[in-house]
Amino acid sequence: MANLSPFEIQARPNRLLMQAASCMLFVICMGLYMQTSVRRHHENPEDRVVPSLTQLAAGIHASVLEPAEEDDYIPADNASKWERFKHSMIVKDTISSGRRFLISLALLIPAVVLALHIGLYPWFGAFFMRFVLFFDKIVALSLLPILFIVFGIEEWSKIALIVIGVAPTMILDVTQMVKAVPQEQIVKAFTLDANNFDVAYRVVSRQIMPQVINSLRLNLKPMMLFLFAGEMIAASDGLAYRIAIMRRHMGMDVILPYVLWVALLLFLIDFSLRTLNRRMHPWFQA
Amino acid sequence: MKQMKKHLSRVVAAAAMVLTMASFAPQAKAETPTFTVGWSVYAGWNPYFYMQKSGILKKWADKYGIAIKVQRFDYAASLDSFVAKNIDACTMTNMEALDMPAAAGVDSTAIIVGDYSNGNDAVLTRNGLTFATLPGKPVMLVQKTVSEYLLERGMVLNGQQAQLNKLKLINTSDSDIVAAFLNNKGNQAVVTWKPLVSQIVADKSVKSIFDSSKIPGEILDLLVVRTELLNTPNGQKFAKAITGAWYETIQQVAAGQANAIKYSAAASGDSVDSYKEQLKTTALFSAPAAAVSFTNGPDLQKKMDLVRQFCFTHGLLGQGIKSVDDVAILYPNGTIQGKKDRVRFRFNSAYMQAAQLGKL
Amino acid sequence: MVSGVMTPELHVASASAVEVANGARALTAAATAIRVDDVSMTYTVGRKGKRTVLQNISLEIEEGECVVLLGETGCGKSTLLRMLLGQEPPTSGSITVAGKPVERVDSRSGYVPQRYSLFPDRTVLENLCMGPETSKAHIFGRLMPGFRAFRKTVRAEAMRQLEHMGLHASDAAKYPHQLSGGMQQRVAIAQALMMKSRVLLMDEAFSALDPATRASLQRLLRSVWSETKPTIVFVTHNTAEALFLGTRVIVLRRESREDSCGSRVALDMKLPAAGMSLHRNGKEFLDLVEYIESFSRGDHQKVSSDGDDRDGSAFEAETTTVFPLDGETL
Repeated sequence: MANLSPFEIQARPNRLLMQAASCMLFVICMGLYMQTSVRRHHENPEDRVVPSLTQLAAGIHASVLEPAEEDDYIPADNASKWERFKHSMIVKDTISSGRRFLISLALLIPAVVLALHIGLYPWFGAFFMRFVLFFDKIVALSLLPILFIVFGIEEWSKIALIVIGVAPTMILDVTQMVKAVPQEQIVKAFTLDANNFDVAYRVVSRQIMPQVINSLRLNLKPMMLFLFAGEMIAASDGLAYRIAIMRRHMGMDVILPYVLWVALLLFLIDFSLRTLNRRMHPWFQA
Repeated sequence: MKQMKKHLSRVVAAAAMVLTMASFAPQAKAETPTFTVGWSVYAGWNPYFYMQKSGILKKWADKYGIAIKVQRFDYAASLDSFVAKNIDACTMTNMEALDMPAAAGVDSTAIIVGDYSNGNDAVLTRNGLTFATLPGKPVMLVQKTVSEYLLERGMVLNGQQAQLNKLKLINTSDSDIVAAFLNNKGNQAVVTWKPLVSQIVADKSVKSIFDSSKIPGEILDLLVVRTELLNTPNGQKFAKAITGAWYETIQQVAAGQANAIKYSAAASGDSVDSYKEQLKTTALFSAPAAAVSFTNGPDLQKKMDLVRQFCFTHGLLGQGIKSVDDVAILYPNGTIQGKKDRVRFRFNSAYMQAAQLGKL
Repeated sequence: MVSGVMTPELHVASASAVEVANGARALTAAATAIRVDDVSMTYTVGRKGKRTVLQNISLEIEEGECVVLLGETGCGKSTLLRMLLGQEPPTSGSITVAGKPVERVDSRSGYVPQRYSLFPDRTVLENLCMGPETSKAHIFGRLMPGFRAFRKTVRAEAMRQLEHMGLHASDAAKYPHQLSGGMQQRVAIAQALMMKSRVLLMDEAFSALDPATRASLQRLLRSVWSETKPTIVFVTHNTAEALFLGTRVIVLRRESREDSCGSRVALDMKLPAAGMSLHRNGKEFLDLVEYIESFSRGDHQKVSSDGDDRDGSAFEAETTTVFPLDGETL
């Protein structure tokens, strides 16, 4: 008989029960949502705060198959589902948000390279370390007016917000990783006739790469947060733009699917990074 | 097996408890009926702050044997709270009254028509840009608000209706719109409201090409309560008390009484001068008679029709609304704009009238 | 000094003829592989404090010697090794390895540390090839024509070395974490040997291993040394290991606990080239262990250690006291 006490450390629940337990909170959340929704719709059939399933379905339909309101595209009557999907609101928003996200991600690569140098080369450390430590404590959002002046209100200010928000933390993190590489490894590399760049790029960077990817995975959410902050403050498209606009008239039927879609996207990015990490670095003992 | 059953039943009991607690939590009761009014920063609404500070509100509440709380919100948050029925009355414009509570199925009634924007909202441009040359240039504004309405009305009134869909809008948060616009000369046009407008036109290269004084009475500032409240005796007491308090307050403000102006300015952190300047472009109905005649007059319906058409074409009435008539408006004279069975928003001048007759 | 040291080797009766011949050849070459000249090392501790770790160390290590550095924990033997590597510069004095002064870590010496001796992100084969490949090609050099052919020969060489170290060809594709500690150190030695450097610096290289593995690695190192006769400096705190591996043992000891007083050479003694073990030398081995450890503890008969004497003279005095004992054992 399996021990079912939740406070038993040595309990050995079987697979089925474990699976059931892990689904429990999802079921409870959905149950609570449904109950609240039904209750509110009982009072007010047009309630928009907690949309019913039919409202949600309509919201999903609108976001997945109908063009954004500001678009000029008018689907032909016989347009296929795929055709409609390609021009839909959610695709448009995902592409523009995704573009910003990917550009920021790409801009983090030089940050990681810089961190490698800061951790490894004493002169780089002396030059940058204090400043990065200081800069890391600056709340990026408070710099927004400055970012607007420097980068304008279009794409670059949002990308700069993400990079400025995430890069210092990332640099500090990677610097720590570099410093944690055993001195023996670096000495050994030099005795194998490696030059400075060999040590940086062929010994240290290879060894910290899996940790860098893990650090990036942890930073995905802050990145998304900064992207959302930027898009909510000034934008003409993007996932957070849509959420901000929909909020103006309580379009929860669209907002909720958007929120879940963003969560799914983040999960997928995280999952693929994790898989990539495992494939690329079979030697890495997490 | 027995043990497992015991555990399962415990789990079920706990889950049931969580569910019941969650469903009963929002229902609270109080001995003295208490009502909450939410307001947000705006020239025509700041007097609510003075109303509370000066004791006028308490005087009127005591007279009707109820308690009234006044709470300041961010504008969007106040609307959310009102729709979620966390507060009983809320200040809002006629446009939001339609697209937030009414479109969300919360039947609401405007009991006070406080003022209309008479130049508070403005379209500002650089480099002599006009409505004819505006399409294609980025325009910064808070989208889906009266700013966008004002911009469209400006386009229509200047004969640029055909160009409407060529406008390139950038949704910009009001907290950053001034800095974002002024600091980059590449931004050519902005639509916003006072006191932000005053801050922007301080830059001499920026000119106002259109403002709400050209569309008088279209952007109304209201106090809206849930209709169901007005059907209860306590709710009626509340409506009377708040109306009475409002006219006492607003008359002091209109008369320029020092404290009234000082506190109202302080409510939004403005200087007295800046607040007075804002009042100049706010057409206050300080006398109930003026408000009643405007509310009962024939113009209101025409103006509301413009607003509701705007809301509908911009999808502000919601995904499920297929016709503009699905969110119907009831006027004091009994006319209904829209489908009879779908009245969601009402103008009620009875309380203002009572104030006019001194019957509060 | 050199001639005085040389004698015991010739006295060694049990040493095989071959090894004696080897010793003689090393002698004729008589080149100095490592020269440590009046080196001191002082660290700053805290705001004002200073701590001297090594004080006026002078050593000459000839090519082909296997020198074991002994001493208690904290006596500075690892510090001395790091200075030989070039990892830390001495506070005063100079160090010369292979004829050139040491200023930074470079490929003059091979290095086998106790831990982290292999690159965890490379397979055994890649670890072995890393040295020659890097040396030839550096970071962009691998784009050069001819690199592939070069790599092929290096791989073949690596596989030979691997089997020579007692590993299977099937281990070549494994990552270090898939190997046991002993295997890892075998690969580490092979990796250092791939560079064919004439100096091999080993820091407690076998200290983390279990006794059986340790013994087999000691035998391996012994045979590697007798094949090519590189100069080895081996740091350990295990006296038995020192006696088995070394041709010369150096004991470092700090005279007093005061911070201003650093370690000096307390004993510098030649050993028979064949290596000693309990199995072979019995009681004499134990006596010698006891004798050496008395130096590292500092409770040996204070006949010869007259304080401020220069290391050289102390060394000569001590070695002379040792010889009879040494002679008796063999």
